[in-house]
Parts: sequence; C-alpha cells; structure tokens
Amino acid sequence: MSNFIFGRYLPGNSWIHQMSPQSKLLLSFYFVIVIFFANNIWAYGALSVLILFVVIFSGVSIGYFLKGIRPLIWLIIFTVLLQILFSSGGHVFWHFGPFSISDTSLINGGYIFIRFLLIIMISTVLTLTTTPLAIADGVQTVLKPLKKIRFPVDTLALMLSIALRFVPTLMDEMETILNAQRSRGVDFGSGSLKHRIQAAVPLLVPLFTGAINHAENLSTAMEARGFTDSEHRSKYRVYKWKGKDTISWIVFLLVGVVVLFVRKN
Amino acid sequence: MKDIIQIKDISFNYSGQPLLFDHLSLNIHEGEWTALIGQNGSGKSTLARLIDGLIVLKSGQIVVDDLTVNDQNIFDVRSKIGMVFQNPEDQFVGATVEDDVAFGLENRRVPRDRMHEIVEKSLKDVGMWEFRDRIPANLSGGQKQRVAIAGIVALSPKIIILDEATSMLDPRGRQDILNLVARIKAANNLTVISITHDIDEAAHADQVVVVNKGEIIEENKPENIFGETAKLQSLGLSAPFTAQLIAALKQHGIDPNSQYMNDERLIAWIKKFVSQK
Amino acid sequence: MDKEIRFSKVTHTYQAKTPFAQNALDNVSLTIPAGSFTAIIGHTGSGKSTLVQHINALLKPTSGSIDIFGRTITPNTTNKNLKELRQHVGMVFQFPEKQLFEESVIKDIMFGPKNYGASETEAKSAAVEAMRLVGLDESLEDHSPFDLSGGQMRRVAIAGVLAMKPEVLILDEPTAGLDPRGHKEIMDLAEYLHDQNDMTIILVTHQMDDVIDYASDVVVMDQGEIVKHGRPEEIFAAPKWVYKMHLDLPSSAEFAMKLMDAGVKLTKTPLTIDDLAAEIAKIAGGEGPKE
Repeated sequence: MSNFIFGRYLPGNSWIHQMSPQSKLLLSFYFVIVIFFANNIWAYGALSVLILFVVIFSGVSIGYFLKGIRPLIWLIIFTVLLQILFSSGGHVFWHFGPFSISDTSLINGGYIFIRFLLIIMISTVLTLTTTPLAIADGVQTVLKPLKKIRFPVDTLALMLSIALRFVPTLMDEMETILNAQRSRGVDFGSGSLKHRIQAAVPLLVPLFTGAINHAENLSTAMEARGFTDSEHRSKYRVYKWKGKDTISWIVFLLVGVVVLFVRKN
Repeated sequence: MKDIIQIKDISFNYSGQPLLFDHLSLNIHEGEWTALIGQNGSGKSTLARLIDGLIVLKSGQIVVDDLTVNDQNIFDVRSKIGMVFQNPEDQFVGATVEDDVAFGLENRRVPRDRMHEIVEKSLKDVGMWEFRDRIPANLSGGQKQRVAIAGIVALSPKIIILDEATSMLDPRGRQDILNLVARIKAANNLTVISITHDIDEAAHADQVVVVNKGEIIEENKPENIFGETAKLQSLGLSAPFTAQLIAALKQHGIDPNSQYMNDERLIAWIKKFVSQK
Repeated sequence: MDKEIRFSKVTHTYQAKTPFAQNALDNVSLTIPAGSFTAIIGHTGSGKSTLVQHINALLKPTSGSIDIFGRTITPNTTNKNLKELRQHVGMVFQFPEKQLFEESVIKDIMFGPKNYGASETEAKSAAVEAMRLVGLDESLEDHSPFDLSGGQMRRVAIAGVLAMKPEVLILDEPTAGLDPRGHKEIMDLAEYLHDQNDMTIILVTHQMDDVIDYASDVVVMDQGEIVKHGRPEEIFAAPKWVYKMHLDLPSSAEFAMKLMDAGVKLTKTPLTIDDLAAEIAKIAGGEGPKE
C-alpha cells in the first residue's frame, strides 16, 4: 500500500502546511477551474510558474509528485493520444482513415498533458500538506452555506472523518485476511477471470463483515459517549484564517487575472 | 452507603431468543469497585448495556443515581456513566488522540475554550498528552484504552463501567489499565463496575458478583468467593493465583488456615511462617 | 523429508528503499526442531509475527533464506508453487474468526482442503474430523458460522486450518479474548495435536504461564533479533533479564520475586505453583509432602 498517495499526509511546517484547510481546498478548486481557461502557452506558463512556487513553498520533494502521476500514467497517455489523433485543423503531417496528426493536434496534446500535470500537482500538494481530518473539516466549512437548505453538512463531515480514520484499520484487516486465505490455499491474482472473481469472495465477505461489526460497535460507543445527532455539537478544532491565507489568495487571484488577460480569445 | 445503581426485577431477551434475565435484581454501592465475573455469554456485558440504556428492558426498572433509565433521562444517565468497551479500535471516534477525547465534550456542547483545558488535563491524567497528535493506527491497544479513559475523565462521570476493557490487551497492558483506573477512581471518588472473566482483575474489587447464564449466583467480598477454587472452575473461570498457591501449600503440609488471601497478605503470612521455623 | 525449519541469516525490511524502511528481522538464524512445541515471545513490535509469516512464505526474506520441507525460500522465490508448502504449514492468525466467510460451518472448514485439490468427499471427511478435534458438535455443521458464539467461531477457524492436515501449526495468540475455560480448551488442543498427531507447534504468545505449561522450546525476540533460544527453565532463570526484555515472568516466578523483595530467601526461581509451594516448604524446613 506504500504507493497509495491519497491520505498520505507528510508532517511538516511549511507555508502551505500552515494555511487553513478551507483555503487550500477552495484554492485547489479555483486553480483547477482556471486551468480550463488557459488555452495558450502564456497562460499555461503563468500557471506552471505558480505551481512551481506552490511546490517550493510546500517543502514536498518532487519524487512524491512523480509517484502521484504513476498510477494515472495510462489514462494520461490515452487521453493525450486521443487528442493528438482526433483533433483537426492546422498543418496536417500524417493521416490515416479518421486519424490525423497536425501541428494543432500536437499542441493540443501538449496542453492536455500540462493540464493533467497541473491538476495532479495541486491535488498532491493538498493531500500531502493537509491531514485527512483537516480536509474533512475544510469540507465542512466550505459547505456550510448549504446548511440553509437543510443539507446535513456536519453529518457529512463527521462521516468523512470517521471513514478516513478507519482506512488504516481496514487496510490492516484486509492484509491479514489476504494472508489467512493464502494460508488456506487461495491464489489471489492468478488464473482465469472467473477464478479471480471467485477468489475475491473469501476476501470480501470477511472484510465487509468486519466493517459492519466495527460500525455496530462504534455506534454503540458513540451513543454511550452522549452522541445524539451531528448537527448540534460544539467544535473542538477551528482553523483560523491567517496572513498566509490572505497572501496566497491574492497571488492566486492575480495569476487568474493574468491567465484571463493573456489567453487567446 | 448509597446504592448508586439499583437494578429492580428486570427481565430481558434479545429478539427471537429466550429470556436472558428473568426477574433479576442487583444493587451497586456508591464508591465501591464491583466486579461482575462470569464466562463469555453469561450476560454480564448485556447488563452493562442495559444500565447505560444502550438496549431496552423488557420489564423491571433500573435507577442510576436517582434517575430512572428511560427515554427522557437517557442523556443525563449517560453523562453519569463512562463506558470503556472491549475492542480498543471500535471506540476511537476521533481522527487523533485529542479529537477523540473532545468527542464527548462536543456532544455536550462544551464551549471551545473550556474544551481545550479539559482535553489537556484529561490527557495528562492518563499520561497520553505527548501522544495528542497521534492517529489511532499508531497507538497500541493499551494506549487506545488510555485515550478512551481520558475521554471518560473529561466528562467527570460518577461511574465507570469497564466492559471487558482489558481482555484484548497483553498482560502488561492489562495491569497498566487497571492501575490507571484504580488511581482515577481514588482521585475522583468514583464507582467502578468491571465486567471481566479475568479473575486477577476481579481481585481489585470490593465486591464480586458472579453471573452465570443470566443469573446472579453469588454476591460477596472477594475473599469469600475466591477460595472456592473448584466452584470457580466449574463456572468456566479460574481461581486467583494466591488461592491456587494456598491449595498447593496445603499439599506440602503447610496450611495458612484460609482459602484466599491477596498478594500482600499471603506474602506477609509466608514470611512470618518461614521465619518462625 | 527433513522437517526441521531453518532460518539462515534472514533479514526482512518493510518498505525497503523508502524513507520509512524498517528492519523487522535482523540477521536471524534459527532452527526449530521437528516435533517441538516452540513458544515465540517478545514485546509488541519485536518481530514475532514477521518471523512466523516467513515460515509459510507469506513474507519473503529481504536477504537470507529459510529451509523447510525440502524447499528453500529466498528473496527471489516467486509466489508460484507455494501451495504445497502452505498445506504443510497451517497458520492460525490472531482472531482467526475474522477469516470466516462461507454460509455453513462445514463449508468453511472444507474450503482449505478443497483449495489443495481434495475431492468433495475427502474434504468433507477431513472437515468432520477437524470438527471433532476442536470439539465442535456435528449438529453445528449446517449452521452459519456467523450465528455462533465468539469461542465457537474461533474453533471453526482453527478447524479450517486443521482440515488441511498440516504438519506444522503456527498459532498467533490463539487465546486472545477467550475466557479461562476457552483458553484452556484451545491450549489443550494444541498439546493434543503435538503429543498425539506429532505436529510441530509454534506458538506466539504473551502468556508466560502457557509457555511454562506447554512449550518445550522458547525463542525470545527483541528488536527483530533472536536474543535467546532455549528450554523454558533456561529462559526464565534470570528474572532481571526477562524484565529488561519488557516481558513478564510466569505467575509463580513473579510471586517468588515479590517474596524475595519482602525478604524471604528462596534458593531458586520456581516456575510452577507446585515448584513454588515445594520451595517454600523446603526453606521452612517443613514436613514433606502430605500423601
């Protein structure tokens, strides 16, 4: 599971680490939107410079970003190829049936690639510098306005935080069950598709049974600890808005303006 | 002495199953440590859940510190009782140690500033303050139980119920938790109910209640129960170490004239016996 | 076939080549004799579970090798063809009831034998035999394992391992959470399998009284190394060293230490209650044992 990047918080005290989670969440979201406005080299250049600074200010080594890209590499290659082979216009270098490669399609392919890279980098920074708990809290703060329409924001946030808290527990359990069934002669990950699906049953049934047991016990424990409903509780953690948040917002907004200004209309 | 918990003539069964308790009554004295012992499936954990109103009686009444356990009082009853459950993993709600201790306080809408003070004090009480940032995956079972106890201390209840709280710990972790509870009990003048099949845990108690198949078959001081080695074994329990030693000493022609003594008393007796010879 | 289990200079590193790398086993050499009842003790995180998971190749060494049943497990051993080895080495994990999944007790117990190629009839008879061994009534055959009590579920899980007729049985804290009766029944089963069925038993435990009562050999682990390997009486002869390893003494030895602290001079560290009583009788110059 060591390649599993999501939820892998890297403890630290960088500029980005210190920002409030709701800022980070919203800025990541904002950044992704701005990416879709970018449509020429200058706009992408501005965003790349910004992300470079974000990475530097997060104190996270570049190796982690490469790790984050690895599981998505086929998706990226597939999408980029699609873009290159199917987009039309410009000077055509090569064509075959419905496929063609032109200078425009190459440029578009390149842009798609940069988009992927930027999105992966911003989301990696977010998860590596923010604890799962803080992300859950951030979601809660960001969604707060929805409370007006009776959307159960606090329940959602509590569920998210408990789910994240149980990820390592269930991972451990999965590992043990895998090993126990291996010891009983199961070959996971070999043989025909039918065989593989059959092999999943002795893994999934105990895993779900275990999860249900956890849930039952946990709900009893929560009740015993005075839990009634999640919408009327006081809050232990608050994330104060800091100067670093304000400065980051100014920088991000400025870059957004630059992108709108330099993009091809 | 006041009976802080009064169980009056209760009956209970799980749906589709025969009666587990049939007109059972029991009183728990305030400020005492009561051990409920019996083998797995004897009904002792069910009793704890009934006291805390986590499951509902079929008939009879349970009164906790002058409050009848019912729908209206349930929140107040639960604020008088802190429960530590068997599986350390399944009562850790918070994402980190301090968030978990805060969970019960948040439920009771304690203001934030107060909450921070209380969390700090409670974690210091159980010796887990340095671990406040840890996530549960990085704690041992014993440490998680300590956090659970901090979560209880934070709410300053009158009663602590240990529902087989040490059965999943190694012997060292078990002793650790029992010592901690004994210390907290003394410091805050609490009533403790420990539900256990570990006879050495029951040796901490002032009063021992033996439960078998939903019936209370004995209620007495430890020294009057623990000497009955054969009876305990027939109930699927074991005799405390000192009772076993006394039985063995008798085999060697040494008779302390007692069926059971705790560690200190037996050591003192042996010392005296050896030096007289 | 050579039934000894031999670890030669085995090192196991978790998350090798990352900043989180950690040596869980450090240059371990160990021979577990065939037919022994070996207890593996050590405080939490000392490497006990990592050690035993190498015996049926659930883990492979980062360096070094393990010889067992004519096979040699090295860092290059592939996951293919390990089935035969795993059939010989039965593994009961902590809280094994968590691995149950079939709709009936008998089907769950038959699962292992069938994976190893037994026919329906063979698997069924192996399962029935295993149920008898662990003391499960045959009327439970068609019950769902999830309807049973915790102690019964544990026995179903152990029967599921025994039905494969292993020659080595690894038990990782098999009695955790059981009451004294359940505890004794499981430990007596292990003893029976050792004495009557000539199984090699490897027991990972924190219960020092069980080590004294059941084991013939003891392996003490600390920080991924084997720090002592010997008979129980050799291991517990030095109580201070045992404490230094963050381990407990057997109850009798523990009580003897308290007696000595109180000024009673014993001539040796007794390991069983009877030893302790005899020792007290001896220093008191009391009468001999009453018949």
